[in-house]
Amino acid sequence: MNKPLVLVVEDDVAVRNLISTTLETHDYRFHTAPTGQAAILEAVSYNPDVVLLDLGLPDIDGIDIIRRIRSWSQMPIIVISARSEDTDKIDALDAGADDYLTKPFSVEELLARLRVTFRRLNYSASATGSEKVVYTNGELKIDYAAGCVFMGDAELHLTPIEYKLLCLLAKNTGKVLTHTFITREIWGSAWENNVASLRVFMATLRKKIESNTTTQKYIQTHVGVGYRMLRV
Amino acid sequence: MEDLRADPEEILKKISEETKSEKEGHLKIFFGYAAGVGKTYTMLKAAHAAKRQGIDVVVGYVEPHTRPQTTALLGGLECMAPLSLEHKGICLKEFDLDAAISRKPQLILVDELAHTNAEACRHTKRYQDILELLKAGIDVYTTVNVQHIESLNDIVASITGVMVRERIPDRIFDQAHQVELVDIEPTDLIERLHEGKIYKETQAKKALGNFFSVENLVALREIALRRCADRVNKVAEKAKVAQGSTYYTDEHILVCLSSSPSNSKIIRTAARMAYAFRGNFTALFVETPDFAVMSEENRKRLRSNVALAEQLGAAIETVYGDDVAFQIAEFARLSGVSKIVVGRNNAKRKYVFGKPSLTEKLTSSAPNLDVYIIPDQEISRYKPKRAKRSPFRFMLSDLIKSIALLVLATLIGYAFYQLGFSEANIITVYILSVLITAIITSERLYSLVSSVISVLTFNFFFTVPRFSLNAYDGGYPVTFLIMFLSAFLTGTLAAKIKQNAKQSAQTAYRTKVLLETNQLLQKAKDKRDIVSITSSQLTKLLGKDIIFYSVENEKLGQPSVFFVGEEEIPKNYTSENEKAVAEWVFKNNKHAGATTNTLGSAQCLYLAVRVNTAVYGVVGIAIGGEPLDSFENSVVLSIIGECALALENQKVSYDREQAAILAKNEQLRANLLRSISHDLRTPLTSISGNAGILLSNEAAIDEQKRKILYTDIYDDSLWLINLVENLLSVTRIEDGSMNLKMSAELMEEVVAEALSHIHRKSVEHKIVVQQSDDFIMAKMDARLIIQVIINIVDNAIKYTPADSEIIIAISKVKDKVVVEISDNGNGISEEAKAKIFEMFYTATTTIADSRRSLGLGLALCKSIITAHGGTISVRDNIPNGTVFSFTLPAEEVTLHE
Repeated sequence: MNKPLVLVVEDDVAVRNLISTTLETHDYRFHTAPTGQAAILEAVSYNPDVVLLDLGLPDIDGIDIIRRIRSWSQMPIIVISARSEDTDKIDALDAGADDYLTKPFSVEELLARLRVTFRRLNYSASATGSEKVVYTNGELKIDYAAGCVFMGDAELHLTPIEYKLLCLLAKNTGKVLTHTFITREIWGSAWENNVASLRVFMATLRKKIESNTTTQKYIQTHVGVGYRMLRV
Repeated sequence: MEDLRADPEEILKKISEETKSEKEGHLKIFFGYAAGVGKTYTMLKAAHAAKRQGIDVVVGYVEPHTRPQTTALLGGLECMAPLSLEHKGICLKEFDLDAAISRKPQLILVDELAHTNAEACRHTKRYQDILELLKAGIDVYTTVNVQHIESLNDIVASITGVMVRERIPDRIFDQAHQVELVDIEPTDLIERLHEGKIYKETQAKKALGNFFSVENLVALREIALRRCADRVNKVAEKAKVAQGSTYYTDEHILVCLSSSPSNSKIIRTAARMAYAFRGNFTALFVETPDFAVMSEENRKRLRSNVALAEQLGAAIETVYGDDVAFQIAEFARLSGVSKIVVGRNNAKRKYVFGKPSLTEKLTSSAPNLDVYIIPDQEISRYKPKRAKRSPFRFMLSDLIKSIALLVLATLIGYAFYQLGFSEANIITVYILSVLITAIITSERLYSLVSSVISVLTFNFFFTVPRFSLNAYDGGYPVTFLIMFLSAFLTGTLAAKIKQNAKQSAQTAYRTKVLLETNQLLQKAKDKRDIVSITSSQLTKLLGKDIIFYSVENEKLGQPSVFFVGEEEIPKNYTSENEKAVAEWVFKNNKHAGATTNTLGSAQCLYLAVRVNTAVYGVVGIAIGGEPLDSFENSVVLSIIGECALALENQKVSYDREQAAILAKNEQLRANLLRSISHDLRTPLTSISGNAGILLSNEAAIDEQKRKILYTDIYDDSLWLINLVENLLSVTRIEDGSMNLKMSAELMEEVVAEALSHIHRKSVEHKIVVQQSDDFIMAKMDARLIIQVIINIVDNAIKYTPADSEIIIAISKVKDKVVVEISDNGNGISEEAKAKIFEMFYTATTTIADSRRSLGLGLALCKSIITAHGGTISVRDNIPNGTVFSFTLPAEEVTLHE
């Protein structure tokens, strides 16, 4: 595969420089766009592999940009937001963003997120047919046909809800799913109580999947936002 | 000189009127003396003229006459669709007030000012619609005929012989911005009628016969012209008052209100007189014991008379007493009345044993007053009918009491007889028994019957021949008659005294309620107190359910309903309809609802709780169809007035408190800013300095030194990041707990998230998480609680030597989640413990790597935990170190499988 192409949408020069320097030193190709208009133009003309999108742009609302891109492409979008805009983050994810980064972020964190995204891209590019029947992610294996889940060789015994949750996460591997999205998918409504239940089911599910509960190998918790299945 | 100077109050009045008229719309009335003079036609012409000047004109409602010339003029004007209402199967077309207000043109045309609206409309009368339009700042053109003016009503009726039901108060006419008299020669008018321009053929003939005679029309025209001239006078008068060049006479005209149908005529006469004398005008009602037994029909008439007097500008007063003339005279003397207007029918009100007439009594008790007696032809037809007395309540106990008393009297009489006392003593005993009967029984009938029976028993037992109803002595019939009369009169008097006592007790009770309200309101602590006190006092006074809407943030809040009885009978007092009425009252600052002319279909009567123009709430009284009598009304108004004052005071003190809190917050913010700008300088100096060195002479610095400089820059920027996080949390807390985004979170996840943000120096410390249970959930704003954990753990790291152990223990105690963060460092001194949660406190321990600190972290933790309804504390760890612990409300989760 060629060197991946990253589109950096950021209006602040210093942060744009920081990101482009980081990408350059780590051998990524990139384009930059300082405004929303430019971003959409670049996205259309170069069809980048990943978009790094700052939500606070001078011309167009970041969430609008996500919607516009999603109208014609499924390219991964990583949102960069300032910490105070917690709800913006959730709105962005619900609008179709894949992941988010909170300012201030470290260079390592940025690179890690990019790696996660590319791993997912590579995986879905290589495994197209078989994915529908059996899902594998490291030691974790889900046999959709049989409705069975395996960790290594051992079969895991999941409750129906846990199984549904795991499948939902697996099908969206690499994407951060918001609480609202998950509860709506599982229970059909985003009732407050369901969000609370979700926390408990997630915790029990993780206990069954993760060998070491303090490190989050497969299922990552984003407090106040949602959950994500990581591609190992 | 003095005279030239305008009275400041008059100036204020003028100014307030002017500012009012700036906002309110102007009313122009096209005034005619009969139908067909061309009012609507002239109005439409004027509308066209206004339109040509670029004014936004809309025809709100024009009566759908079939006069072709008029209809033709409607062309070219925007017409609003009338409101179609279905009433008893007939489709009625009415003016659509709401549509007009939302359309909000500059000028609107509404025909027939005196029209009475269909039942389903908001107001009973169209002039009320128009007042609302004016209030909304819309100019209005309207038309009215002379016979519809209230004060001229009876004069017109006396000329034409037709009583007009649809009338408008004089003030509407007098306060109109402009009145244009549409005049036409009576002969021309008749000509037009013949041509069929006004009514259709058959109607025309009828109209000609009844109304449109030349004499009638000439008379009507004269009245109309006079009324217009009067109005001009009034306007000029007002201007003079404004300049301070006129005087008000000391005349004070008093009119007596009664339930007589002719009373309205007397009121109108008195009003005209008051106007002519430019004097004060008061209408007095004397509430006698008869009032309680007045028939419903009479009551209704009395109410409409009271309303009429009010409308004609009279101040309404009520006094209580038996003797009407005396009460009137007393009132007149006390309030400086100079002229009294009474009707002749009043003169014959009392008919018991030919008492002197009211007028006679009045002249004798107030010899200095002018008494005007208004002749009245209707008198012969009217008699103040009493209601059929509430059906006689037969009570066995009363009967037994009466009989027992008679028997007792007879026994005593027998004893006297045996002892040879004279008959006079026996008669006295009987009279005494009748008197006692009158006092202890509830109905007057018992004393009456007792009187008769006592005469008979006396005759039977004690007169010769005894034990027969005959009497030989010629003098006995006289004795019997006198005995009967004295027994009957004493009985009646006693009953009357009893009734008076009852009445004054009622008055005293109402006054007591008022006084009590006043005292209670003074003790009221907050708005809720005031509302509940007012409502319960009103319930007590009226014996009716009360609904109270208080005003919150310039809007009408949720109603609270106060029921009379203990049990709450669910009645639909708070339906959308009722709320809409309350809303209207709030917006227009006028009463409405049941028994009023506005939105009369509502269940309750709604009154605004106000001080001048500020409305603090709306009180609904579940009136049950029966209007309040005037005294009740005045007490209710005073209670509501008290309530409004209390609410205003409360609001003022609340505002003051808020201002104080704001000032305190300002102070806090100022301190914070000062402290931050001080604390920011140090790390910024280090960052910019180190970066500067690296930029200018990077080559000259050796590898190891460079690394140190880079690390310092990195560390200081991290410190700044942490500071910014804390500051963000501070702003969220300072805005009040409203901003907390509470949700149920797993403590385990929250702690894990917090630890991932901990300063990287923590590798030198050992951090352990202990949990008693796997799924401990708490209700919290996750971001803020993460900040709390970060701050406490960071603190522990900062103030303990490397290799110390930090334990985070989570447990659930009853309905609380307890988080304890302990370290085994050097501990905190008792003195410091007391101050540790104060803002800007920094521990000045002598630990080598003690860094600058904002002194904000733990104070912030405290406010976050407090905002969550939890507590935070610090204590010594055993054997050494410190334990910080805080609590959060636990969350129970019911799992949805």
